[in-house]
Amino acid sequence: MKKILLHLCTAGAVLLASLVTASAADSKLVVAMLPKSKGNAYFISCKAGADKAAKELGIQLLFDGPTDSNAAKQNEIVENWITLGVDVIAVAAENKEGISTALRKARKSGIKVITFDADAMTDARSFFVNQATPEGIGHGLMDEAARLTNSEGEFAMIVASLTAANQREWQKHIEARLKEKYPKMKLVAVRPCDDLKDKAQSEATALLSANPKLKLIMAICSPGVPGAAEAVKQAGMTGKVKVMGLGLPNENKRYVHAGVTDSVILWNTGDLGYLAIYAGVAVAKDELKKGAKTFKAGSLGTFNIVGDNILLGKPFIFNKGNIDQFDF
Amino acid sequence: MLLLYVLLAEWLFFYVAGTTTNRRGVIVGFGTLDRQFDILRHSCEIGLLALALTPVIITAGIDLSIGSLLGLCAILFGKLWHDGGLPIPAAAGLTLVLGAVAGGLNATLITALRLPPLIVTLGTYSLFRGLAEAITHGSITYTDFPESFLFVGQERLLGLPTQAWIFFAVALAVGLLVHRTTFGRAFRTIGLAPEGARYAGLPVGRRLALVYVLAGLIAAIAAIIYTARLGQAKADAGTGYELFAITAVVLGGTSIFGGTGSIPGTLLGVAAIAVLKNGLACLPVVMAMNAAEEMSGLLTGALLLLALTASVLPKILSNFRASRHAPAT
Amino acid sequence: MKRYFRELSVLGALAAVLFGMAIFAPAFFSPQPLLSLLTREAPTLIVACGMACVIITRQIDISVGSMFSVCSVCAGLLAARGWPLLLVLPASILLGAGLGAINGLLIAGLRLPSIVVTLATMVTLRQGLNLVRQGEFVNLPDSLQWFGLSQRSGQLVLVGASLAFLVALALAMRHLAAGRFVYAVGTDAEAARLAGIRPQLVTFLVFVFIGALTGLAAMMNLAQSPQVQPLSGAGLELKVIAAVVVGGVAISGGRGNLWGAFAGLLLLACVSPALTHLHIEAYWEKAIQGAIILLAVVADGLRSRKAKR
Repeated sequence: MKKILLHLCTAGAVLLASLVTASAADSKLVVAMLPKSKGNAYFISCKAGADKAAKELGIQLLFDGPTDSNAAKQNEIVENWITLGVDVIAVAAENKEGISTALRKARKSGIKVITFDADAMTDARSFFVNQATPEGIGHGLMDEAARLTNSEGEFAMIVASLTAANQREWQKHIEARLKEKYPKMKLVAVRPCDDLKDKAQSEATALLSANPKLKLIMAICSPGVPGAAEAVKQAGMTGKVKVMGLGLPNENKRYVHAGVTDSVILWNTGDLGYLAIYAGVAVAKDELKKGAKTFKAGSLGTFNIVGDNILLGKPFIFNKGNIDQFDF
Repeated sequence: MLLLYVLLAEWLFFYVAGTTTNRRGVIVGFGTLDRQFDILRHSCEIGLLALALTPVIITAGIDLSIGSLLGLCAILFGKLWHDGGLPIPAAAGLTLVLGAVAGGLNATLITALRLPPLIVTLGTYSLFRGLAEAITHGSITYTDFPESFLFVGQERLLGLPTQAWIFFAVALAVGLLVHRTTFGRAFRTIGLAPEGARYAGLPVGRRLALVYVLAGLIAAIAAIIYTARLGQAKADAGTGYELFAITAVVLGGTSIFGGTGSIPGTLLGVAAIAVLKNGLACLPVVMAMNAAEEMSGLLTGALLLLALTASVLPKILSNFRASRHAPAT
Repeated sequence: MKRYFRELSVLGALAAVLFGMAIFAPAFFSPQPLLSLLTREAPTLIVACGMACVIITRQIDISVGSMFSVCSVCAGLLAARGWPLLLVLPASILLGAGLGAINGLLIAGLRLPSIVVTLATMVTLRQGLNLVRQGEFVNLPDSLQWFGLSQRSGQLVLVGASLAFLVALALAMRHLAAGRFVYAVGTDAEAARLAGIRPQLVTFLVFVFIGALTGLAAMMNLAQSPQVQPLSGAGLELKVIAAVVVGGVAISGGRGNLWGAFAGLLLLACVSPALTHLHIEAYWEKAIQGAIILLAVVADGLRSRKAKR
């Protein structure tokens, strides 16, 4: 038994040693990209942009992340990359504080760290590729909601979960804007959908019957928008209750065309991934340093830098008129 | 014993296939000492939960609530320190007590009312997580712990990750309890035949209660280590950990029907899963597929099925032979 | 009357909740929203029926959520390729039955513990699906929604079909030999064997059955929305197990019935919409559900203690 095992091991070892030497031979720059969660359409479209950038720059792109919202897993993956000796780590932080411990460790071992989508602590990374500040997102969503309801009446929110950090952040700014600018509007309920479209649909159905005066449902997680729209459609409330939120054009096209969903707000996620990779590589090659005012990223052109934030530009409002021009 | 070979083979495989030199000519990947320490660091919390579960499963019970209890204890610890103004050691001590009390709730329902552990802990699985969310409204995250506390989760002591010493100490204590005391024998007897144990004069209720209270206590320890490692306490801490812990225990040869099981086996089970998970993330093939997370889940499930099948195969084969040679009736 | 005390007490709790809702939030009972809510729970009811059978045989299946996802995505992809409903529906059921058969073979054939086997298949199926689909939504053809009927008749068909199935299965469990076999195996497998029943075969078939029902439930869910998310069905296992247990089906096998499971499901399914209607903050939801489960089992415990005295 032992002998067989030994033979198997040696055979495997020889086979793999040859594989290893083969992979060690190509000495490309390695950029590792960490999304908040892997199976999320939002980050898949980020990856598409990142892949394009990686091809143009001739680097190796690693893309790995938790398959569920497990706070500790992001740290474990970063620590793994540290021992793998990657050159650049680009992170969308799920937990600001938590991930920063691992990122500081990475910087200490000579790895360049940037963040995209959601920032870590400022001392744990060199640049943040900023698609929109939480404040900008919160205000954008609230202003659009106010526009759709003429700044009055009840509305409800659907969030991913009660514990997700970014969701709480956005919600905070939405509520602040509400208090400050729209006294005639009232937030009547906040319900979690666990990032499940089916659950968002059930929650929205209950919201509709519980709040007959509801004017609008705002979903701030991407599965929530089509879920809420389907509920409104099935309740026969199309037009009476507006649906809007943060979501991807492709998942919402049919509802926008049917007039159920009025507008979906998002930045160009592909560009975000593309810009993150370009920025990461530039930092690694010392082409992008502290104090720079602009940054040129391949075919996308030049971006402004404010402080250590590389700005992607304003979030985009997709509606009936323009949504078909986008495919992500 | 088979598991030891599996673990060795696994480790050797990843050592050879998961180690490379990078552009700067530095050896990187699975074969580095840092990686080995990381594996140890990452397995401490799930390892502790698996240790907590081993005596439970030996008594033919189960505890689904420990992952949720980890989350609740992390929150309580953060609240006691941050809002209660207690110093870290006092907050930690009180959290351990509260963990034991929560374990005591399971114990009371299971022993005093003789309810099935699966259902009781399914209820407390929701309840503990729900309380953690209710206390923090889901949103409050406790951070900014002092450096001296973070040392427990992020630094090294005497060459090893600090929390590993705590893990080893708990492993030793539980190991001694299960293998070297009459308590351990009582656990096995209860697992094999609870009625028999009762007739033999064993205080079945009290022994069972001990097992669940101990599980709560260890979950609280795991919560404190988790908080120190991430530097934050939040209501979602430890989500899904119970499944990994059960997998590790069963992989380690503890029978889910109770009666048999060992702490060294559980440690091997924890190691086998941790090595698999970390090793896969170092394999060039898996990296190229961008599928480390999925592959490790997939292979852990497959490994569990294989281990289970291997454990019953000899019995089935002998049954089969016996039936073939049995005279026709 | 006494015999069904357990089921009646759940029904009583449900009635109390509904009564409270009638006073504090009468809008809960407006017909169309209520029908929609019931329709959302119809697939869960079908899976809960299967789970009740599994638990009555003293087994458990925690892989239903993952099976549900796999069936949803596969059926969705077939439908998107233009397969007609009449082929997609049986394909989904067959796929579910096949996955259930894998569980059944390992559990009944190799006599492995069901909780661990289904834990392993749960993880394997879920991660396998993640690996292949990477979370991408599947867009379904319009013809699939409400099985091509109008929305209202579609909802009535789904609710009606699931209720009819419940009634038929409940009667079958009580009056057909096959149903009695399930109870017999769960009560005492050895006694069942001596009575001429083949316990391993019954166990195997029960797992195939719940697999097939999960495939059916996946289709009933597909009909309610024009796109499907691979994560769909995550957490379903805990929902149905909790419902069945709250409804008085004993985890130790052989006791309980589908009516109880039905009442348990309705009670738990009420919690979330009731909180919404009463405008209570969502973060209490999990704690309340946990408390209901514990209350139900404590009631069980107290009663069986009394019975012993």
